[in-house]
Amino acid sequence: MKSYWTVFRLRRKMEVQYRGAMLGGIICQIFFGLILIALYRALYESKPQDLPLSHVVTYVWLQQAFFRMLLASDPDLLDKIRTGGIAYDLCRPVSLYGFYYMRILAQKLTGSLMRAVPMLIFAAFLPEGWGITPPASPAGFLLSLAALLLGLLCVSALENITMAFTMRTLDSRGVQAMLNLLMMTLSGNILPLTLFPDSWQRIITLLPYAQLLDAPIRLYTGDWAPQAGPRILALQLGWTGLLAALGLFLWQRNQKHIIVQGG
Amino acid sequence: MSYIQVDHLQKNFWVRKKKDKRSLFREKEKVEALRDLSFQIERGELVGYIGPNGAGKSSTVKILSGILTPDGGSATIGGLIPWENRKEHVRRIGVVFGQRMQLWWDVPILDSFSLLKDIYRIPDAAWKKRLDELSGALQLEDLMRTPLRLLSLGQRMRAELCGSLLHQPELLFLDEPSIGLDSISKLALRDFLRWENREHGTTILLTTHDMEDIAALCPRVMVLGHGRKLFDGELSALLARYDTSRTVTVRFGEGNVQPALPEGLSVSREGDDLKIIYDPRKNPTADILASLQQAGTLRELTIQPQNIDHLIADMYQEMAL
Repeated sequence: MKSYWTVFRLRRKMEVQYRGAMLGGIICQIFFGLILIALYRALYESKPQDLPLSHVVTYVWLQQAFFRMLLASDPDLLDKIRTGGIAYDLCRPVSLYGFYYMRILAQKLTGSLMRAVPMLIFAAFLPEGWGITPPASPAGFLLSLAALLLGLLCVSALENITMAFTMRTLDSRGVQAMLNLLMMTLSGNILPLTLFPDSWQRIITLLPYAQLLDAPIRLYTGDWAPQAGPRILALQLGWTGLLAALGLFLWQRNQKHIIVQGG
Repeated sequence: MSYIQVDHLQKNFWVRKKKDKRSLFREKEKVEALRDLSFQIERGELVGYIGPNGAGKSSTVKILSGILTPDGGSATIGGLIPWENRKEHVRRIGVVFGQRMQLWWDVPILDSFSLLKDIYRIPDAAWKKRLDELSGALQLEDLMRTPLRLLSLGQRMRAELCGSLLHQPELLFLDEPSIGLDSISKLALRDFLRWENREHGTTILLTTHDMEDIAALCPRVMVLGHGRKLFDGELSALLARYDTSRTVTVRFGEGNVQPALPEGLSVSREGDDLKIIYDPRKNPTADILASLQQAGTLRELTIQPQNIDHLIADMYQEMAL
């Protein structure tokens, strides 16, 4: 077990080194956040919605702050698969799935925390109607933290499935472009899921993509009452388990049919 | 049963090719990497594994290290089938793929080594002792805190080797381990492998195109071509079989001596030196020397065997590889 923890630590250490990427990411995400908020303010001015504007603004900031959790593939891991460096990992007495899961988890957690903390501090100091508002209740806040953690576990399981497909196709771009579209739309990054028609929301919030950030954000803003917490956490846990099982199955199948090209 | 027992191993790959430039579809073509490979290796042996590019050497190593599943035949190592008992098997072996990387690119190599410590569950004290031993032999002491990306090719190679040996494997597969090493490192690596083999009884299978490494390390050689074993035995026996030309360079006390040599030898003069190339199987060296001594007083004389790379090239050619 210790080796999985060490992989996590090592990948975290590696991620912390990329401070330039962090700065660029923060500036980019703040820019997108401000544009989106300006857009929703204009929308609300002409046609007010049922959902309070402050909820939408908070939703946007939290989505932007944890953007890295959704869209970031480990370039080293993709390279390994493409160039055959994976051969080394195959001759280790560890579970390849678990090994890569920890890498992905470390990258997503460290990468997004490094960006989220400064960004949320920035967003907290913005004037009212532009900045992030405090959580609806202490219970909601604690539940949203737990949901964020489960969302992270869930998105890492999703990413590991993408990796399993990459092993088949060697180039991840095709699969990723498709999956990213799903990810961006169904996770609420492009348009907050809270603004979708109610009938759509009933379905979308059950899908795995809504478990990543949408669920924790709704608990934070109070859009979902703390009483709904256990049901949401159970749903997240269920998806995480299911996706991990699928990923594990795909990796084990891959391992049987592996070909390492080029000597 | 031998420590490594390989019987009738087969492995095919499918390559997709376009029949001609304009055709829309690619056709699958079967490439037989290993056709029918059998051999045995005993515990503690140091075996060289050679063959031209594409002979199937790396495929063999990958099958025996549990990465690839063969299409036919069987193999056991220490009683385990590598691709079926992967986890137990790989705990006991070490692999070096000369052209791939196992250490982490962006972190100090010491961090990568401590990850390997946890992966192989090496006790702290044993790990420290082993690391000292290896970093001394591979001259890595000053590089431990340097990220891998800042090392030169040769330094990186030495670090990779260290990584593969940390858990003191009982069996070591080396696939082109001396790529990029300078002469000092190459000699140090040879000394180290010899020491490792003698001290710990480590079984080593060395795949390389560097014939000097083979000559210096491996009493036994296997030659692979087109997925089949073509030779298996002592290196000296292999060399004797293909040792078809030697060069004698001789300088006489007095100038312009014309020794009476057998027909058909290539004789050339370079300054004061007389160069004679002969086939030791047809003209024994003793006969050549006798006729030289009869011709005049000898001042200098050297006999050079054929360059080992030429010899191997001749052998590959004769085996139609």
